[in-house]
Amino acid sequence: MEAISIEQLSFQFEHQHPIISKLDMTVTAGEVALITGPSGCGKSTLLRLIAGLLPKYGGQVTAGQIRRATIDRHPLRMGMLFQDPAMQFAMDTPRHELEFTLENCQVAPTQIPARIQEASNFCQISDLLDQSITTLSGGQQQRVALAVVVAMHPDLLLLDEPFAAIDEANRQFLIKQLGQWRAAQPGRTIIITDHDCHGYAALNPHVFQFTAGQLVALSLFQGKAIISRADDAASAPLHVPVPPTTAPTIIQLNHVNIGRGKRKLITIPDLAIMKNKITLLTGANGTGKSTFFKALTRLIPYQGEIDYRQKDIQKISPGKYHYQVGLVFQQANEQFLNVTVGEELTLSARHQRQPLLTNDHLTEVLRDFGLAGMEDRVVYSLSGGQRKKLQLLVMLMIGHPVLLLDEPFAGLDRDSLSTVFNLIKRCQQSLPQTILIISHQLTGLDQLVDYHLHLNDEKLTYEGVQA
Amino acid sequence: MNPSLKLFLVLIIALEVTFTSYLYSNIVIIILALAYLIYRRVRWQRLAWLVIITLVPAIAIFVTIAFFSPGHNVYFAWVLVSRLYVYVMTGSAVSCTTSALQLVRSLEQNCHLPSKFAYGILAALNLFPRIAQEVRLIRIAGQMRGITLHWWSPRLYFKAILAASQWADQMAQAMESHGFVEGQTRTSAHRVPLTRRDWTTFFILVVVLQLLIIALP
Repeated sequence: MEAISIEQLSFQFEHQHPIISKLDMTVTAGEVALITGPSGCGKSTLLRLIAGLLPKYGGQVTAGQIRRATIDRHPLRMGMLFQDPAMQFAMDTPRHELEFTLENCQVAPTQIPARIQEASNFCQISDLLDQSITTLSGGQQQRVALAVVVAMHPDLLLLDEPFAAIDEANRQFLIKQLGQWRAAQPGRTIIITDHDCHGYAALNPHVFQFTAGQLVALSLFQGKAIISRADDAASAPLHVPVPPTTAPTIIQLNHVNIGRGKRKLITIPDLAIMKNKITLLTGANGTGKSTFFKALTRLIPYQGEIDYRQKDIQKISPGKYHYQVGLVFQQANEQFLNVTVGEELTLSARHQRQPLLTNDHLTEVLRDFGLAGMEDRVVYSLSGGQRKKLQLLVMLMIGHPVLLLDEPFAGLDRDSLSTVFNLIKRCQQSLPQTILIISHQLTGLDQLVDYHLHLNDEKLTYEGVQA
Repeated sequence: MNPSLKLFLVLIIALEVTFTSYLYSNIVIIILALAYLIYRRVRWQRLAWLVIITLVPAIAIFVTIAFFSPGHNVYFAWVLVSRLYVYVMTGSAVSCTTSALQLVRSLEQNCHLPSKFAYGILAALNLFPRIAQEVRLIRIAGQMRGITLHWWSPRLYFKAILAASQWADQMAQAMESHGFVEGQTRTSAHRVPLTRRDWTTFFILVVVLQLLIIALP
């Protein structure tokens, strides 16, 4: 039986080119469909159309239709997981969100505690239930979001790039849980969009490739090939040396303690960030990688002393300091100060220190990034991947001596990745800059990074082979 | 006491106090509200803040009426000051002892307020800490690109409003994808009781209020 069938569907947002044109897709009940394609191709849009959020919240269907199956005489129940974990909760704590959701689904009050228990065990969030959602890390929020949709007992799960900002361990855990969820009852269907196909073999998905507004259903063999190629790329280890003790440093941390809320996250007796090098920072979700960056940029308080060029950063005026040490936020939207792409670029050009990104060079980079001719687009209407690229670009133009990148590669496809790596490397070398990168996606990173810092068990240590 | 009834009681008190000008009844109400706050173990620091912050407009009003109004009416100045404290103390008696979620649940279940309205308000309330955070972040995002945004910069608020409207749209989609449908019946995980005792307390307090206003000078 078909859970979802789409015929000749065309869709566009107001005053824009059609994102989807004459698209056909059939998803059989009980199968896992994996939709893959480069960032900005319209994967999220398609998922929102299936969920019925579009065209209700913008855009218009110009042709075709989506048919959703009815199961036991009730309409198909759908649960959707969004790309941005922080923006899918209306309540303050996971427990309240779960209660709110189950009340909406008209679950009898006596059954609600059991349903909450079941869903939170399933996603292992029992210890997070009464914490404020804003204090949870991105990965924890995504586990909570999955618990909420699972609690709804949907027939169809729609997941939009659910693992974009999640570490490998959580990704594997969630994929395993999704497999269990589907197997628990016949007819349960899952549709996932992901630009990165690794780790999906266990779900045995039906792979669809998104190209030029249309979907191509791949054969079982082709799908398996794509997944195993992605698996190989993801498992390649990093080969970087440990920094030599004599290397010049730019940031020094002495006896620093950093926490989130009341919880202690990181203890750093002594740590140096190497000058004019690119350092990768890794660690499991919720260990405090983003929090570490926030401390370095004085967004949150900490104990101990952090020195920038031998000067305590608390003694430098915030305006001056932030012009020296920049942060590319995890949420791209927070970086933007203007409305259109063109205005954002002009703003950065006013205080530009990066000679590599002027006039002709910039036009070229915009073309490589797939942002050419988009000067008049509102930044918030760009796709997740396009926004990430624009955000990185406007920050690289400024040319901070120290630049911190928090998940700059989340939601970027393979082709974008190599252009982004290339640009970061060139910009870094031309000034030169000191760059720190938090990333869950490690594919190809050993070409880019010089050193590797790992956060584990509240400690930050350099990893790699002794030079 | 039931959160909705508590809210209505406070609204009635505010209305009556606004249209009458008796000093002693105001003082009695303030003392009762304070006693209730202490009985419910609201933190001392919080109480002290309430009193101190209110002092600023209170002094301004007192000085204006007592020294600069045509009649130099000191009694009326005290009435206005006490009125201000009645608003703050009774308001805190609700807000410090009831969470927004409890109040919303009560309004939905006991007063049959449309759930769209109730949860819309709640979602907006949950956004407030994020807006404060956002404004801080915008300033830093500006500094990182060589721009200083002062607290009076229109760009700061323009961007904050833009972000809020973005959230509003995303929030609506999030609520919908979590099964919320406008006008559809919902069950309730926690029943908010509205007992005979609640009603009795409510009416007794309303009567006491009238007596206070009539009996005291």
